[in-house]
Amino acid sequence: MSVNITSYLLVALILFCVGLYGALTKRNAVIVLLSIELMLNAVNINLVAFAKYGLFPAVTGQIFTLFTMTVAAAEVAVGLAILIALYRNKETVNVDEMDSMKR
Amino acid sequence: MDVNTIFSYDWSYLLPEWIILGFATFLSLLDLFAGKRLGKTVLGWLTLVGVVLAGVFVFVNLNTLDKPYSYMADMIRIDDYGNAFKLLFLAGAASTLLLSIPYMKQGEVKHSGEYYYLLLTGLLGAMVMASSADLITLFVGLELLSLSSYVLVGLRKTSLHSNESAFKYVVSGGIATAVTLFGMSYLYGLTGTTNIYEISSRLVHASLAGYQFLVYAAFAFLAVGLAFKISAAPNHMWAPDVYQGAPTPVTAFLAVVSKAAGFALVFRLLMIAFFQVPGEAGRFFFEEGSLYLAVMAAASMIIGNTMALRQTNVKRMMAYSGIAQAGYLLVPFVPPTTLFFGEVMFYLFAYLLVIFGAFAVIMVVTRDQQTEELKAFAGLYHRSPLLAVSMSIFLLSLAGIPITAGFFGKFYLFMGAIAQENYWLAAIMIATSVVSYYYYFGIIRQMYMRPGTTEAPLAVPKGIGAFVLVLAAATVFFGALPGVATNYLQAQFNPSFNFGDMLPPEFQ
Repeated sequence: MSVNITSYLLVALILFCVGLYGALTKRNAVIVLLSIELMLNAVNINLVAFAKYGLFPAVTGQIFTLFTMTVAAAEVAVGLAILIALYRNKETVNVDEMDSMKR
Repeated sequence: MDVNTIFSYDWSYLLPEWIILGFATFLSLLDLFAGKRLGKTVLGWLTLVGVVLAGVFVFVNLNTLDKPYSYMADMIRIDDYGNAFKLLFLAGAASTLLLSIPYMKQGEVKHSGEYYYLLLTGLLGAMVMASSADLITLFVGLELLSLSSYVLVGLRKTSLHSNESAFKYVVSGGIATAVTLFGMSYLYGLTGTTNIYEISSRLVHASLAGYQFLVYAAFAFLAVGLAFKISAAPNHMWAPDVYQGAPTPVTAFLAVVSKAAGFALVFRLLMIAFFQVPGEAGRFFFEEGSLYLAVMAAASMIIGNTMALRQTNVKRMMAYSGIAQAGYLLVPFVPPTTLFFGEVMFYLFAYLLVIFGAFAVIMVVTRDQQTEELKAFAGLYHRSPLLAVSMSIFLLSLAGIPITAGFFGKFYLFMGAIAQENYWLAAIMIATSVVSYYYYFGIIRQMYMRPGTTEAPLAVPKGIGAFVLVLAAATVFFGALPGVATNYLQAQFNPSFNFGDMLPPEFQ
């Protein structure tokens, strides 16, 4: 059984949009970081799908995925570390309350 | 490719990168084992040695290589385009270090070792961004710079502003990364390769085969995602908060090195990948793509310059000014002409002189007054004529008033836009420049005409004083004789008008 490439792309696009929506609207900082991970995983689905069903199928896409996963992990580690430093100064993980600098 | 191919490359052309990597590793080990016993400034000076050494080897490459040298199918590509940007980054990093060493004495940043080697890894990321022609390496370089700067921004751990701005930077940076990657994944899907020169030729086939919509979508995603690094609209919202919360030398690093690295990536990726794609009439990149970027440029100029008007915090004001400058720098790119490379490099060079000078003055003044408000500059002329006059020169250069390097930078961009018959963009550039006079002169008014809280002479550290003086002199010098820089640039980096060997012969 083979699945059409459009289905993969559609799933990735939906995942990307859900992630973007979450990153822009959620109030909890951890959920925001999680939403960004969703967006990055949408990219991974795209890359792997293209590696098999793209116009010019090639294994490079899967290799690219390994790099994006590694970097995403590093990014979320830095994000959480900064969040912990922030939490020590101001006991909140609520994004709405991070407004000490004036607009 | 097997092991023998890897050993058959002449790795000496990568010496600048190896040196930065080596110093970053060595300094982190040194800090680990002997951090307590070494003086605080030793690591800073060692870092500076590494940066200068890397600069020397970039010059060596420049003189020994007469055509691009490619490692592993352009994973890393040493060409004059990359070399020119690398020199800019190294000069920027060296200036950051000269600001950082006195800054560290304030003791706001406890982890001075981490500060120095994160600066080096960030610099390495920028250098990879400038000299790679492969999506994977470009992405890794981009993230290396981004991750290092996230931490650098938040390194004043006890300051709430600093933590908060770092978190905002991570979140907006993460979103921008995802958007950029999404664009890259479409590029890859349509072409099955990550080499941007191959992408360029295969994208034409994809476009002719009826996948035009995906090609345009990839362009839009990439442009929006990469706008983050150059802090241009629509992805500029992070800049004011991050600039305000970051330690002042880091702010200058972001304003120059990070932004120039963003430009290096944007120009190479967007131009090469989409160069030959056909559009409705003519070529997509030179018609619709350029229009898209022109709107981004115009929006950045308008937003940056008008929002700067109502700022009272000087670092926030510089952030909005930086957004406007990003807009100016996009002007010669829409669409690029043969003179584009020279115009951009000269502008970035003038910008580098001015930003580091201005932030050095800001650093001294805000430390003395304990506030970053514009009021801190009141009466500066009576307290320290040297700083006040130098700061005036820097601000005049940012505003683009004659006899400063910034004037010629902007003049070249303006003439380029006129030559392309981009009249509306040129008009916006002039109009917003006039608006920008108001806030630049606001600082000058404070320095000369407002009485300060004190008349006591301001103690300027000798090193900073000399640094500011040199930069001010250079700004005036290149404002009087811009030909010295532009001729050198043309002769050394761009003799055949192919943007420092970035464009392959078949594109011209």
